[in-house]
Amino acid sequence: MEKVLQINDLSKNYGRIQAVKNVSFTVNKGEVYGILGPNGSGKTTTLAVVLGILNANGGSYQWFNEPFTKLARRRIGSLIETPNFYPYLTLWENLKIVAKIKDAPDEDINHALGVANLLKRKHTNFGHLSLGMKQRMSMAAVLIGNPEVLVLDEPTNGLDPEGFAEVRNIIQSQANQGKTIIIASHILDEVEKVCSHVAILKSGELIANGKVGELLSTEETVYIQSERMEELIEVLNNSDLTSKVYKVENDLAIVLNVNYKSADLSKFCFEKGFPLSKIVVKKQSLEDQFLQLVK
Amino acid sequence: MKKLFGLEKIKALSYPAFKTLMIIHFVLFFLVILIGSRLHFSIPGFSVKGLYQFPNIWEFFPWVASWFNLFLAIVVIVLVGNEFAFKTFRQNVIDGLSRNDLIKGKLILIVTIAIYTFVMVLLAVLIFGFINTKELSFTIIFENSYLLLVYFIQAIGYMTLGLLISIIFRNNGLSIIMFILYYFPIEPIIRVMFKSEARRFFPVKIISNLTPTPEFLTMTSEKTYTNASGTSSLDFSSIGLLPEKLPLGITLILAAGYIGFFIALSTILMNRKNL
Repeated sequence: MEKVLQINDLSKNYGRIQAVKNVSFTVNKGEVYGILGPNGSGKTTTLAVVLGILNANGGSYQWFNEPFTKLARRRIGSLIETPNFYPYLTLWENLKIVAKIKDAPDEDINHALGVANLLKRKHTNFGHLSLGMKQRMSMAAVLIGNPEVLVLDEPTNGLDPEGFAEVRNIIQSQANQGKTIIIASHILDEVEKVCSHVAILKSGELIANGKVGELLSTEETVYIQSERMEELIEVLNNSDLTSKVYKVENDLAIVLNVNYKSADLSKFCFEKGFPLSKIVVKKQSLEDQFLQLVK
Repeated sequence: MKKLFGLEKIKALSYPAFKTLMIIHFVLFFLVILIGSRLHFSIPGFSVKGLYQFPNIWEFFPWVASWFNLFLAIVVIVLVGNEFAFKTFRQNVIDGLSRNDLIKGKLILIVTIAIYTFVMVLLAVLIFGFINTKELSFTIIFENSYLLLVYFIQAIGYMTLGLLISIIFRNNGLSIIMFILYYFPIEPIIRVMFKSEARRFFPVKIISNLTPTPEFLTMTSEKTYTNASGTSSLDFSSIGLLPEKLPLGITLILAAGYIGFFIALSTILMNRKNL
């Protein structure tokens, strides 16, 4: 596998606060790599460091198996946090700047504006756009120069459902062209739908990474309700029936050990004096996995 | 280099505030010299017209224009501060410029503005000089013309100081206030704390001394005086009416050193600080 981005023991501090702690992972060519984490988990900081706009306090990173050079930067299209453009310039002028930096032809500008559905607005000043349009403008800028890698930090921020779907389609079509895409997001559904791999950050630390299919294990989660839930948690934790027991709103979510079924659980609870008022079996979603991991 | 120039051209020329400030700069300069040319003092032996004639005009016009170099430095502060405010420096780096390119781009902008102001003063000198000088000769016309190049260096000096201050403070308002405060009173107060010899070597002092106040006494007065014993030439230096200055060559070398220092420090800060 050809490595696109390799991060080794990366650390970044803001004064006494350690925003990123010894994070290591590798993104290979053609992967759609999601970086998940709650707000403040270090997703944006990690991307900002590897894109050279923040200086790391420790560790190293390599793009395309070599130190990060100007030429390497031009192979990457990036969107970090908020759209950063000159408000007094038109969309076309702003993209002209990006195209000049990337040595891309002017035709790329119209193409990118077309993909982002902003062609009619090309002579509008960036400062006059709505938040959603600004975000789509950022996507247009990312596409200038036909980069091999897209780095997208919260790409659907501020978008309405239609814009959300449009951006997702853009990402999907870029992925279908074999491009490597790195997406940082706290929207799990977004990651689950488009990513092949995922890394999960919590408080600046990498707590899990791998293929989405592997992280989305086949194990089932059983959601139950009963009276005296606290006592039931203790009873279930002490049994060999369960591997995980945790609360999700009013339910108890239970991951059963191999060889046990939901019927076994129901029978066990009944025998222990906890008749169940609800029992629902669900395959674990990325959200469930994520909530468990970041707890 | 061409690419960076192209980028700065789009950024600056499409910025309404930049265009307005440059027009104000142009109009103010011509307004001051036009008003000055209309002034008439009824003091026997003195004539303002001498300031508008070759070769004195080479000294006088750059001196007037040098007041507005502070204005140009503020223009640079605004343009650099905007890059931090709009986070476009970080976007430029993300898109493929190096941090050194960011500094190079702004230096290209500074040199371009300096060339503009150089041409503006040159045109004004030629127009007013030819109108007001009666006896024209190649020597008279071009004597002291090198002072325009000195003015050019001074413009770069102020603007690179503006660049450094805006990179330190990253905020337009704060940078403009700090620039003005450093010009007056911070540096003058610091200078007072030093021995008289050292006072002459501070950055703003050195850069402003590139276009020192013209010796109005020698430019506007009759060159000789007549008394009972006949006609003698006037030497204002010998009677202590002209200030002592560092030689221009030394001032230029020191100014170039300060400009180099401002650029080097700006580059270091740009590379070390987060964008």
